[in-house]
Amino acid sequence: MKCRVATIFTLLILNWGVAVGASAPSGPRPEATDASLHQGAEIYLRRCSFCHGLLGDGNGPAADFLDPRPRDFTLGTFKFRTTQSGELPRDEDLFRTVSRGLSGTAMQAFDSDLIKNGLSENERWAVIDYIKTFAIEFDDPELDPVKNDLVVTLPSERPAYSEALVAKGNEVFEHAKCWECHGKLGRGDGQKSFDRTDDWGFPIRIRNVTHPWKIKAGSEAEDIYMRFSTGINGTPMPSFADALTEQERWALANFIKSLQHQLTNHQVLRALEIEGEISQDPGEANWLAAEPMDVRLTGQVVAAPRWQNPSIELVTVRALYNLEEIAFLIEWDDPFKDELHQSGIEFDPQEISRMGAFNSYVAANDVVPRQLETFRDAIALQFPVKLPEGTKKPHFFRGDSSNPVHLWQWRSDGVENSGQAVQESNARGWKQPSKVQPGENQQVDAVASWNQGRWSVIMRRPLLTDDRNDIQFVKGRFIPLALNAWDGSNGEHGLIMSLSTWHSVILEAPVPIKIYLYTLLAIVVSGALGVWLVRKERRRVAAMV
Amino acid sequence: MKKPPTFRFWTIVLTLVLTYALVKWGIPALSREITGMPFPLTVPGTLMFIYMLLTIIALFLLVTFSEEHLAEFLYPIQRFLRGEYGRTTRTLGLVIVPALIGWPVYDVTIPKVQQPSSLRIQHPSSNFPKKNEDLKNPFASPSDAEVDAFIERAQANEVGFIPQLEADLDSWAEYTEPDHMLEAIPTAPMRAFLRELGAGSVNRDSARAALMEKHLFEGRALYSMNCRPCHGDSVAGDGPMADGFKLRPINFTDNGTIETIVEGYTFWRVSNGGPGLPTEATPWDSAMPVWKLNLSEEERWKIILAEYDLAQKTPRIPESH
Repeated sequence: MKCRVATIFTLLILNWGVAVGASAPSGPRPEATDASLHQGAEIYLRRCSFCHGLLGDGNGPAADFLDPRPRDFTLGTFKFRTTQSGELPRDEDLFRTVSRGLSGTAMQAFDSDLIKNGLSENERWAVIDYIKTFAIEFDDPELDPVKNDLVVTLPSERPAYSEALVAKGNEVFEHAKCWECHGKLGRGDGQKSFDRTDDWGFPIRIRNVTHPWKIKAGSEAEDIYMRFSTGINGTPMPSFADALTEQERWALANFIKSLQHQLTNHQVLRALEIEGEISQDPGEANWLAAEPMDVRLTGQVVAAPRWQNPSIELVTVRALYNLEEIAFLIEWDDPFKDELHQSGIEFDPQEISRMGAFNSYVAANDVVPRQLETFRDAIALQFPVKLPEGTKKPHFFRGDSSNPVHLWQWRSDGVENSGQAVQESNARGWKQPSKVQPGENQQVDAVASWNQGRWSVIMRRPLLTDDRNDIQFVKGRFIPLALNAWDGSNGEHGLIMSLSTWHSVILEAPVPIKIYLYTLLAIVVSGALGVWLVRKERRRVAAMV
Repeated sequence: MKKPPTFRFWTIVLTLVLTYALVKWGIPALSREITGMPFPLTVPGTLMFIYMLLTIIALFLLVTFSEEHLAEFLYPIQRFLRGEYGRTTRTLGLVIVPALIGWPVYDVTIPKVQQPSSLRIQHPSSNFPKKNEDLKNPFASPSDAEVDAFIERAQANEVGFIPQLEADLDSWAEYTEPDHMLEAIPTAPMRAFLRELGAGSVNRDSARAALMEKHLFEGRALYSMNCRPCHGDSVAGDGPMADGFKLRPINFTDNGTIETIVEGYTFWRVSNGGPGLPTEATPWDSAMPVWKLNLSEEERWKIILAEYDLAQKTPRIPESH
């Protein structure tokens, strides 16, 4: 009986494992009928049309605010396929995209095993059949990739991930010149300007392959293999199916996998105490010894002008302090070094932020210039002005009227323009611009460098200041810390930026010696008890004899 | 079969270890299977304490139930204390047991660097205006007069849509040249209504259902434009912007979210956002915008209509009804 229960339980768990994350259909697809096309049209209206448009042309009411733009189905050009470059996708490819979504984009998973109000397999097939009616190419049997044997499959032999395989993949990366676009370290910094556009006329932004959550069609080696074996239709990403052997491509996929960033998982930044001067070189030993904290950022969507196409989604922070000073090393990936700022073309949010306006989001491509040499790159650290009592803090987005915040904003053009790399200011909410502190209170200095698609900025300030509008760094306290970031060539300036919620930084105070006494006491008492029991037992036996 | 003399002692030890393992690893593993989430539910420390305490009490009762039980239990312990398992074993035992006791004490007393956790009340009521309790969504139950007005406009093919949908509807109409603009909504209730309209005999109930479809269509469009970036297509709080927020956007498909509150409450939360929350709901961590600054009352109500529909939930009925 027990055995049977265990078996049933095990089967249950196994079934669950299969059901979750399934991206391939479980059985043969149902035939399209009039009824299923009707059902597909209904589902399309409810779940797809607001981005992809009633005509499937990618012009739904939400489309203008998205980058990448929703797919235009009418051209029959699909990016993520398991068919040869330039060909139509297989039905299973569309099924997979609808089921799993495209990570890092507005296209989300619709698999009912993944989300509660998702679509069943039959519903997904119905909507796929409807979507295929938008492009006449699907009616032409001569273009059918399955009938014409144009399907790309994974290599039958796929050696497991190993250092040797990664090293071989690295050679392929060099030899196939992937770095010409993607950069030597995969940060998408190979391209020197936005000199290419996709089939829809939008500038190509090269993928930073080190951020797995942005790899649209999946970040596993199998997914990556497919991308350069099929190419990405409509973009300059070619297929390497002819140039590289299967084994070379498999090694390359594993090399790309090895570049993926592993996120740290803590919300508290521990500042490391050091003796002597804090170095301005990010490669110095103390900086390498300091514990990094990854901070995820997202588009500023809290208030108009809202922005849902942030470029900077990850910032890594480290902190060092000595007797007098504290310094933060802030690093983030940005493929272009933007050091110019044209304040004359800054976006005036008046039109979109007023009540009853069409929309409070900033359109992705035609309102704000997203080009080189328009806006500067910048980063800001945000602290509360007063150390919080209890858990109460200012609002993470620039504080509020009764709880001001202290901002340290580094600007890439700061030194050249004002002789000052960092501008200290105070904000009480986002409605008013932050108030710049007077010159004598500007006490943060910074050094910055940009190398291979990554900014490294070190900001430094005395632990304590005389200014009552400044944060004071006291040992042993959790000091709230948040970030704002701007990528100029992504059109970001003002409140069009990415931001984080509150994290903390702590300057660890040494543990008071008396705390160790508790442990010592526990050990001594229990040890003595043991010895006492041994003696007692000895006496008992003696008494019995 | 004769039990070995140490049987009782080891069953007691085994029971304790098993109870600990079940609470420590069993419950989290099971919770993952039941919820289907990628993370386990946390087991509070007090739960472990209570379970272990109950187990120890039960075992104590069992052991002290009779003289024989106690003697049986103590037998290996006494032998151990006398050094009959070897003096080295005894010395080792006398070192290991205090170490096992010292470790948790060290673990508990040494301060750890952990974000001070702030308890948060999800649906605070301390500053919820009571007049909102009975507020009804004007689009959920249109009056007969409104339905009649809709029929009239539909007969003249002059049904207006929100401006946000205009561009897409225009290009759709240009391409498909429909007989009626409402054909843009190909759902069953709308198709039934259009058939009746064509036949010239309109039933008010089917018109009401069709009007609802139109409101849902507009509400979904507004949701897609304004709320989807965080709350997601899935209304599961997993939109493309969600990962950056420590306090994750609410998953409306979860039980215990929007179905436990009245519509008036949802409207108040949407209108006033994070900054409108009282202290006990940690407003400083909430990214919820103050939508009354950017969306009209009508837009907000339409979004709420679509939100409940997408989540397949219904709002709580006000208590007075």
